[in-house]
Amino acid sequence: MPNPKDFAILFDASRCIGCKACQVACKQWNDLEAENTKNRGSYANPPRLTSHTWISMRYYEGLKPDGDPYFDFIRGSCMHCTHAPCVTACPTGAMAHREGGVVTVDEKTCIGCRSCVQACPYGAVHFDEARGVVQKCTMCYDRISHGDQPACVKACPTDALTFGTYQEIRAMAEERVRVLKERGHTRANIYGLRELGGTHVLYVLTEHPSQYDLPKAVREAEKRAATGWLSAGIAAAALGAGLKFIVERREALKGGNQ
Amino acid sequence: MITANFPNPIGEEHWGIWIALYFFLAGTTGGAYLLSVLFYPENQKLIRRSALWAFLGVVVGSALLVLDLGQPLRFLNLFLGGFYPASVMWLGSWFLLLSGAGLLWVYAQPTSRKAQGIVAVLVALVVGYTAVLLMQTAKPFWNASPLLPWLFLASAATAGGALLQLWQHHEKLSRLVVASALVEGVVLFLHLVWTYPVAAGAVLALLAGPLAWAFWGFVVVGWGLPLFLERQNVTLAALLTLVGAFLLRYFVVMAGQV
Repeated sequence: MPNPKDFAILFDASRCIGCKACQVACKQWNDLEAENTKNRGSYANPPRLTSHTWISMRYYEGLKPDGDPYFDFIRGSCMHCTHAPCVTACPTGAMAHREGGVVTVDEKTCIGCRSCVQACPYGAVHFDEARGVVQKCTMCYDRISHGDQPACVKACPTDALTFGTYQEIRAMAEERVRVLKERGHTRANIYGLRELGGTHVLYVLTEHPSQYDLPKAVREAEKRAATGWLSAGIAAAALGAGLKFIVERREALKGGNQ
Repeated sequence: MITANFPNPIGEEHWGIWIALYFFLAGTTGGAYLLSVLFYPENQKLIRRSALWAFLGVVVGSALLVLDLGQPLRFLNLFLGGFYPASVMWLGSWFLLLSGAGLLWVYAQPTSRKAQGIVAVLVALVVGYTAVLLMQTAKPFWNASPLLPWLFLASAATAGGALLQLWQHHEKLSRLVVASALVEGVVLFLHLVWTYPVAAGAVLALLAGPLAWAFWGFVVVGWGLPLFLERQNVTLAALLTLVGAFLLRYFVVMAGQV
């Protein structure tokens, strides 16, 4: 669970209009170069995060069973997890939690091994070929540590993004879900309370997280590795003993026959 | 901590050919050392020779890993950066360093059985950690089943046995290679079935997609044919098994990132 005084962002999917002001603001403040975009049949552009795109809106559109159209937006970016898999996987301490629970990478000590890229369940960390290090959302640490809001939050015209302490943000999210349920959004829920020890970015959703391709029941990197070590230990013992048994028992049997 | 900034001109985000080649080199030569310690304790010449090969495998493999980093000169940060035992990458780099030193020692002078056993444990960790490294990621093809360590260890036994067969023909080795190849085949089949529900894209890419050449190449040329040829032409069977071991590492590494 994040510290109540930690920095946090709330994304309210029921208020988002999909204008991408957050995407543009992020590029401007963090001085990230533009991407070649292309019409892939969706408004999402670029379709995935990259080392130059730290936040990108995803769009889900279609018809509900009763014929009503739906058009849902979700914010794709770093969730600043409390038990962040990227931090666990980092072998040099370059990817780490800073004060306030924010996860950032130290560009000066990152060796570019991409363990964090592979470990992130949100696809939020990416490798910058030109710099040889990984890059990701910093929650605008340079702004928030001086009392300002992150650029994406500041640019949001509909208050779909809010910045504050974890305590405030969580209370707002719970209040918002209550209001949405009253208005008939029976599936309204908060995403990020249990995932990876609680994330510093909370989402208020009107549909089940799977509707937005958000991973549920994400296993923590420590647990994944523990399973791996256990399995490797059993495998080594079983294979060693098993092969020894098969090979040498046959040998002993043959010796007996002679 | 090294902070010098010299980005790798061939750096890329995927874990690609260098990683697969390293898995193959360390797995095969490490497997050969493990088998010679486990099954030929009397044959000191074989143990020392396989220790030399495993040493070369570890050194060349580590060089490939450094070559693959985004900031190759900063590889020392793995050892200077701090204590991160939760990171499999960090543990693995220490296993490589220690096993390399141990293997050189076993090769350089006559050593006791106990010393060779301790080095064998380090080598087993080098062979096994690679699978745990993949399991710590968020890629379902790698982490959804606990069988990857079984696959890598069984493959190391098969390929290591094949490497020993190139130096000496021995009926015990033939039985060993056949037995571990059968385990390898069963484990691979179970792994594909197990991961299919969550990593259908990766499994289909192997069976009938862009990686089919590597998968079926392994199954037919690197696994089935050697089993068939084991009685007729041991040297050819061993060479094909080595090709198969590389294809296996290659398609496992690539399929996880489909």
